[in-house]
Amino acid sequence: MDKLSREEVLHVAHLARISLTEEEIEKFRGELKVLMDDIDKIKDVKDFDDEMMYTPINDNTRLREDVVGDMLSAKEATINAPKKNGSFIEVPVMINE
Amino acid sequence: MSKYLDLSIKEIHELLVEKKITPLDLVEEALRRIEDAKDLNAFITINDKVREEAKDLGEVEEDNIFFGIPIAIKDNIVTKDLRTTCASHILDNFIPIYDAAVVEKIKDKKMLIIGKTNMDEFAMGSTSETSYFGAPLNPHDKKRVSGGSSGGSASAISGGLVPLALGSDTGGSIRQPSSYTGIVGMKPTYGRVSRYGLVAFASSLDQIGPMTRTVYENALLLNILVGEDEKDLTSVKKEKEDFTRLIGEDIKGMKIALPKYFISDIVDEEISNKVKEVISYLEKSGAVVDVVDMRYLDTAVNLYQIIAMAEASSNLARFDGIRYGFRANDVDDVDSMYTKTRGEGFGDEVKRRIMVGSYILSGENAKVYYDKALMVRDDITKEFNRIFKDYDLIIGPTTTRVAPMLGITKDDPHKAFMDDVLVIPVNMAGLPGLSVPVGTNSEGLPIGLHIIGKAFDEATIYRLASFIEEVKR
Repeated sequence: MDKLSREEVLHVAHLARISLTEEEIEKFRGELKVLMDDIDKIKDVKDFDDEMMYTPINDNTRLREDVVGDMLSAKEATINAPKKNGSFIEVPVMINE
Repeated sequence: MSKYLDLSIKEIHELLVEKKITPLDLVEEALRRIEDAKDLNAFITINDKVREEAKDLGEVEEDNIFFGIPIAIKDNIVTKDLRTTCASHILDNFIPIYDAAVVEKIKDKKMLIIGKTNMDEFAMGSTSETSYFGAPLNPHDKKRVSGGSSGGSASAISGGLVPLALGSDTGGSIRQPSSYTGIVGMKPTYGRVSRYGLVAFASSLDQIGPMTRTVYENALLLNILVGEDEKDLTSVKKEKEDFTRLIGEDIKGMKIALPKYFISDIVDEEISNKVKEVISYLEKSGAVVDVVDMRYLDTAVNLYQIIAMAEASSNLARFDGIRYGFRANDVDDVDSMYTKTRGEGFGDEVKRRIMVGSYILSGENAKVYYDKALMVRDDITKEFNRIFKDYDLIIGPTTTRVAPMLGITKDDPHKAFMDDVLVIPVNMAGLPGLSVPVGTNSEGLPIGLHIIGKAFDEATIYRLASFIEEVKR
């Protein structure tokens, strides 16, 4: 069976910001190739016009008024955060001197 | 043991009005049924406050047929203070702080949310086997899948656990499981129902819809789900209408198209024959059914793969381990927090789709794949519009085969898409589509008929579906 190279798998994993184990890299080499071949079939569609349909809604330029609405409290906003300190969400150090 | 939940919603409502039963009786019965059918694995989370909620309902509202009726909600629709997991490890401890627009509507009607139903992880799959919580089973044969991605809702209705459920449909995820389990499932027109609070998979395709035992109850439930919502700017403003209004009318003069592709050799022979049987009855009843050519239908799975994976890769970027959900341990920096959290939190199907989706949208690929897919998507939609100039409805089988055995499509990245080959075109064009049971195959497994309508013409779909349902009875 055709497979992607290890580097190709690591490239798409990087684009998707997903870490993979060694076993996964090996497994996805084949599985992703199947999907890559699938999506390539779009190139075989020859007879089409160049109007694009992003959404079924014709009028998609509607915007709501920019007014202050209901707001979340700090407690609500952080209630599901996996790591927090008081009303702050903790993340790893982002800037190292 | 009570059997109130086998009655129609109308009959249950009458018993409530006559005070012969209480909402608590219905809740107790539903919880007991769920417990007795635990092996179906239809639910991920049971609402442990539902008994209290039933007791607190107060006086029955005579003019509200849904008062006190239990309902199940697919677990990608957020429910305030009730765990919503999307069947994923990455959200397995997520407690929403708000209700989806449809959940607000359900609560306004004083319906009782029994629990959250099982599904494919982030609705990605066609058998519900990608669920972190294991697959729900098909009540008609527990060795078979109940379809996907709304497989838990389909199991719950088909198994008689609750009378009403919500599903979501991105590429057939309401209609295909409905067909596999012998129930009625409607994907409304894109824009009919607010997507606010539906955890987004592919935003230009996703739509929430009702899954029920009968056509009438499906239309009734759709009545309360629809409406413009300022929190979803793709929801559409329409005159209020009663979707049950054409139910019971005959079908004389109705013009129906049957695309050749829908009865081609990709469809199992028993299913084709069943559809032909239905068609001959429709013709005898005064409808005109013509076999028509429709172009681009065979490109739909390809378009779906590109559009849905691309949109999913963007939508699922929000799962970063910061604001909610799972975060991996032992991370040294922000980058490793993202990648390890996502690597450990997502299942294989989701990873595959996000990776391919990211690839599709990267650099020049976006033109080669995504833009091209959107061009062909426009062509498919024009094909539907061309047919609908001459016809009221389009029909065909919902699926190419009956519910497959468990495990058959698991870990096969290609097959997982092919189960939805007949239902995906409808999502591309944003049209309404419904699956109604039309009988069983020689093994007693349900077969569904797929009815596709013009945009915002769900009422005509219900008219034909109810006619077919009545004949079957």
